[in-house]
Amino acid sequence: MGRYRVAMDIGGTFTDVVTYDQQSGTFAATKASTTPGNLSEGVLSGLDAVVDEPSGIDFLVHGTTQGLNAFLERRGVPVLLLGTAGVEDTYHIARGPRTRLYDLHYRKPTPLVPRRDVLGIGGRIAADGTELTPLDEDAVREAARRARADGHGAIAVAFLFSYRNPAHELRAREILHEELGDDVTVSISHEAAKEWREYERTSSAVVEAYTGPIVRRYLLDLENRLAGRGLRVPLHVMQSSGGILTAESARRRPLQTLLSGPVGGAIAGAELSRQTGRPNLIGIDMGGTSFDVSLIVDGEPDVSAEAQLEGLPMLMSVVNIHTVGAGGGSVAWAEAGGLRVGPRSAGARPGPACYGRGGTEPTVTDANLVLGRIDPDGFAGGQMTLDTGLAATAVDGLAEMFGMTTTAMAEGICDVANSKMAQAIRTITVSRGIEPRDSALVAFGGAGPMHAVFLARELGIAETVVPRFPGAFSAWGMLQTQIRQDWTEPYFFLDQDLDVADMAAQLARMERDGLAALEHEGVSGNRRSASHAVDIRYAAQEYTLTVPLTGADEPNDPDFLPSVAQRFADLHKNRYGHANLGAPIEFVTLRTAAFGDLGRPEPQKWPAATSADFPYEIRTVVFDGTGRDTIVARRDDLFVGHTFDGPAVVIEDTATTVVPPDYAVSVDDIGSLVIRRKDSL
Amino acid sequence: MTTSTAIDPVTVEIIRNALNSAADDMNATLIRSAYTPIIYECGDCVVALLDADHQVLGQSAGLPIFLGNLETCTLATEQRFGREVWRPGDVWILNDSYLGGTHLNDVTIFGPVFVDETLVGFTASRAHWIDVGSKDPGGSMDSISIFQEGLRLGPQKLISGGVEERAVIDTIGTNVRFPYPTTGDMHAMMACIQMGERRLQEIVRRFGLETLELARDEIFRQTELLERAVIAKIPDGVYSAEGVLDNDGIDLDTPIPIRLRITVAGEHIDFDVTESADQTVGPVNCGVSQAVSALRVGYKLLVSPDLPGNGGSFRSMTTQVREGSVLGARSPAACQWYFSHLGLLIDMVARALAPALSDRVAGASHGDSMIILSAGTDPRVGRDFVSLEATVGGWGAWNGSDGESALINNVNGSLKDIPIEVHETRYPWRITQYRIRPDSGGSGRWRGGNGVVREYEAQTDMSVSLWFERSRQPAWGLFGGEDAVGPEVVINPGRPDERRILKINGLAVRKGDVVRCASGGGGGYGDPTERSADDVRADVLDHNITAQAARARYGIGD
Repeated sequence: MGRYRVAMDIGGTFTDVVTYDQQSGTFAATKASTTPGNLSEGVLSGLDAVVDEPSGIDFLVHGTTQGLNAFLERRGVPVLLLGTAGVEDTYHIARGPRTRLYDLHYRKPTPLVPRRDVLGIGGRIAADGTELTPLDEDAVREAARRARADGHGAIAVAFLFSYRNPAHELRAREILHEELGDDVTVSISHEAAKEWREYERTSSAVVEAYTGPIVRRYLLDLENRLAGRGLRVPLHVMQSSGGILTAESARRRPLQTLLSGPVGGAIAGAELSRQTGRPNLIGIDMGGTSFDVSLIVDGEPDVSAEAQLEGLPMLMSVVNIHTVGAGGGSVAWAEAGGLRVGPRSAGARPGPACYGRGGTEPTVTDANLVLGRIDPDGFAGGQMTLDTGLAATAVDGLAEMFGMTTTAMAEGICDVANSKMAQAIRTITVSRGIEPRDSALVAFGGAGPMHAVFLARELGIAETVVPRFPGAFSAWGMLQTQIRQDWTEPYFFLDQDLDVADMAAQLARMERDGLAALEHEGVSGNRRSASHAVDIRYAAQEYTLTVPLTGADEPNDPDFLPSVAQRFADLHKNRYGHANLGAPIEFVTLRTAAFGDLGRPEPQKWPAATSADFPYEIRTVVFDGTGRDTIVARRDDLFVGHTFDGPAVVIEDTATTVVPPDYAVSVDDIGSLVIRRKDSL
Repeated sequence: MTTSTAIDPVTVEIIRNALNSAADDMNATLIRSAYTPIIYECGDCVVALLDADHQVLGQSAGLPIFLGNLETCTLATEQRFGREVWRPGDVWILNDSYLGGTHLNDVTIFGPVFVDETLVGFTASRAHWIDVGSKDPGGSMDSISIFQEGLRLGPQKLISGGVEERAVIDTIGTNVRFPYPTTGDMHAMMACIQMGERRLQEIVRRFGLETLELARDEIFRQTELLERAVIAKIPDGVYSAEGVLDNDGIDLDTPIPIRLRITVAGEHIDFDVTESADQTVGPVNCGVSQAVSALRVGYKLLVSPDLPGNGGSFRSMTTQVREGSVLGARSPAACQWYFSHLGLLIDMVARALAPALSDRVAGASHGDSMIILSAGTDPRVGRDFVSLEATVGGWGAWNGSDGESALINNVNGSLKDIPIEVHETRYPWRITQYRIRPDSGGSGRWRGGNGVVREYEAQTDMSVSLWFERSRQPAWGLFGGEDAVGPEVVINPGRPDERRILKINGLAVRKGDVVRCASGGGGGYGDPTERSADDVRADVLDHNITAQAARARYGIGD
């Protein structure tokens, strides 16, 4: 057995690596530069930094942004799309909504396939799955010739009602492989997303075709290079759903990995919730240009069955991450005599004025620096030195326009940014039916802990938790996950028409398929499990809720219908504020998730303090308009039992935590900083 | 720079964000709690936070056509019953077309906000109810009086001193066809305004009423200043446009002219629609406040699209609407299709101001909801069904871009079409075509967007109603851009019984009959001869135009 469990989270600038040493029971975190041209390089050098021999690795997982970057930069492979003749424009009609209502110049999100590369193929399946018109096989062969001639790297096939009867899609793929060989990527819609709604399912297949070959190539290259260095275990990849799968499976279903990057933070939040007994958490991940909010409700990450990327939909399980246009780079500016902060960001280039890359507009990071809340020499693990003079000049320019002092303006910028972020969090919780006061705030990412306590104060949240390695929290979260494979089956029945025995038989079949698939993932029998759920709605409603079942045979229970209706009503009340027990309900989709337990690290007990004292220095930091003597401590010097009052700043390699004057800090037994109001203690 | 000295800019900005986000929270509450997809998916709703003088403090970016007329509901209530009518814990309802301006399906629920006995403001929400008891389910194409269009309410108390008025709520429940989802939506709207009430109370308690009022004045001043600066750039003068609706749905031969005259003087702009047609027998009328809203939408699209609306908005704008006209209907004018001429009016504002704001305007859009409504019994399950669909179409081009194809019209928010797989599963239709309609957008240096063709084959006998508009005057082009092709509905195309028709109530359709609905395109922008040959060839490759049109309209061969 190997010694290390390793997780790597590849970000835009840095790759975070967290290792767990199974012999000593300790965690370590490090950063390597991300190598945009060839991500494998960054992964390997990150690995070299922490582990001598890949053969010593027992478990390796990573979250890749390869597919996501290809999507965002529109560098995917050219896709030929085959749709049902007569309705093949579905993909470009895109259901026709306008998402910005005061915009006379509205354009839809740019589709990944131009209309000239969409072909209508004869053949039609009816709503009940029967064949109305046979597949036009000649047209499929003609499409294959077209793909070869025009150099399409992948083909997406999306026919109407394929979720009821996939025969035409399967046959089309067979023909395409016959004509083009087995190497060409053919993504068929009922495999990408086995659900109704042709536009969303087509879009899912197109995204998979567009990014799939790139993800595959990358994973294959990385697997080979890791094997070449002696890695003896399979590489695992984070999925958008919060589970993981082997790179081999990810190559078959690359869509599932598309949004895996930021998901680690939510999974880490769920694990923190488990370890510390806090059922509800609001996670905030703040970086230079982004501010992501995730929710843990009753210990579980908030997952939905549909995602959007730049307005293009995908039907797949995805942990909800709410991105808010804020961050350290948000620009402060004047408009009609009013002060504004954001939504425009200075980005990474030119970045905040203090980066010294030519930025002259004041940003939130500049304001924090002017106030003394950031250590200019310790930014981003000491990889960057910030120029306080440039920050002050930028802030001063704006202060002069308003007749304010530089520090008053700097604090004003932070106050406005904090109130906007807090309001955004509040609206997210209102949409989900949650009261922020009932949650704790978990802050991670480089800038999260700098603002977190201010946000908690605005939201009336009692506790702010800053976990160990806040800059690498996502990677830490990836170490805590299990293998997960999702199976869905459309299943439309009103409750009065339901054949419960048939439903149980369907679920049993899905469970068999799911558990068998785990064998492929190398999970031994006693470590496999499955959970089941069914999407239900009130008759004639559009949207569904996913209602968990106790097992595949639950439908055979004599009380099944009243019991599942009650469960649905409870969820509906919780989610939407009301329910109507007794109204007809409709079953829509069966869902089975197969889990493979690969073990997880034990929570590492953080050492107790040997004395109440710890080393710190006193610096001047501005709070509430005045420079205050402020404790500046190093995170590594703080142990279980240490407590101190704000104002304080805690510095570590990946993050800075700011504690305002009326708050106090303690260290819990896994090493998290826990920050509460003094008068609440 | 001039700034108010009585209050610091940081506090103003924090309060400004807090007010806007209070409105967002109201909207999120409404959408989360609503029962019907028209609210929670299409966003056919709007909310507002008002001060004690009925000025908008914060507003969500809801359905534009409801812009800035929630305050007319609180004002009308106060005018009728006096200022002392406002009591803590009361909630009111109103849907009267001649007060709220819209059709009876649009219901406004509102209430006063008190802090320590002081009236500090109001919160209000408006949403579309799926049925309010009109003579036909979901609304009629051929009503000739408000009394055929359903229950007319208000202003009326729903909650009095925190206690629900059960008798009123029961009366509403017994007058609508779908009482369960309707009262569900009503409770969602109550929850929404109560969320707004709590937020406004929190803001008053945190900052104090005096600070809030100082901040409000400063926020309004900023908005007004920004809008005035745009208007000041428009050369003084008179700008006008004339548009026409096909008919009122009853007398199919008489067009309905809408006339707009805009006068700009310095930082002031006046919109006059008094010369528009008299109110009609058929249901294309609206109340004055809704005409004002439409003009405000047209104004905002050009002047301040990105500014959150508040009491400082529209201060430089006046409107003249004539009572007794289609835009200022009096009882008992029918108002079911109150928005067909409003969508037209919004396009007309851009047309009128095109000479002054050539970079901000766009060619006209396909313009209306293009409704197909079908009802009958689904033989597969033996149950009745009603299906109501809007049809997407083309939007106008502007300087710098082609118009978008297959997009919902401007008065329908973020409505999505019904997926074919959902449609065929729920209703006894087969959808045999759904495609972008080539050559339907107006040609131009920038090409107008295309409409769509959606063709249905009936799988059983049923009844079909249609409301397709803007065929007499399809979307116009600007600056040499050409007009678009208008809508067309053909029953049984190519068969001996082929029939073309755009509006009808309750047409009997037999199993096997085909209904082909084609929506219009958007207007072009600029001279088509200036369009680059590469763009024309790309349009042919992407099936936006046919090869014949490339030759005929642009002179570009293969």
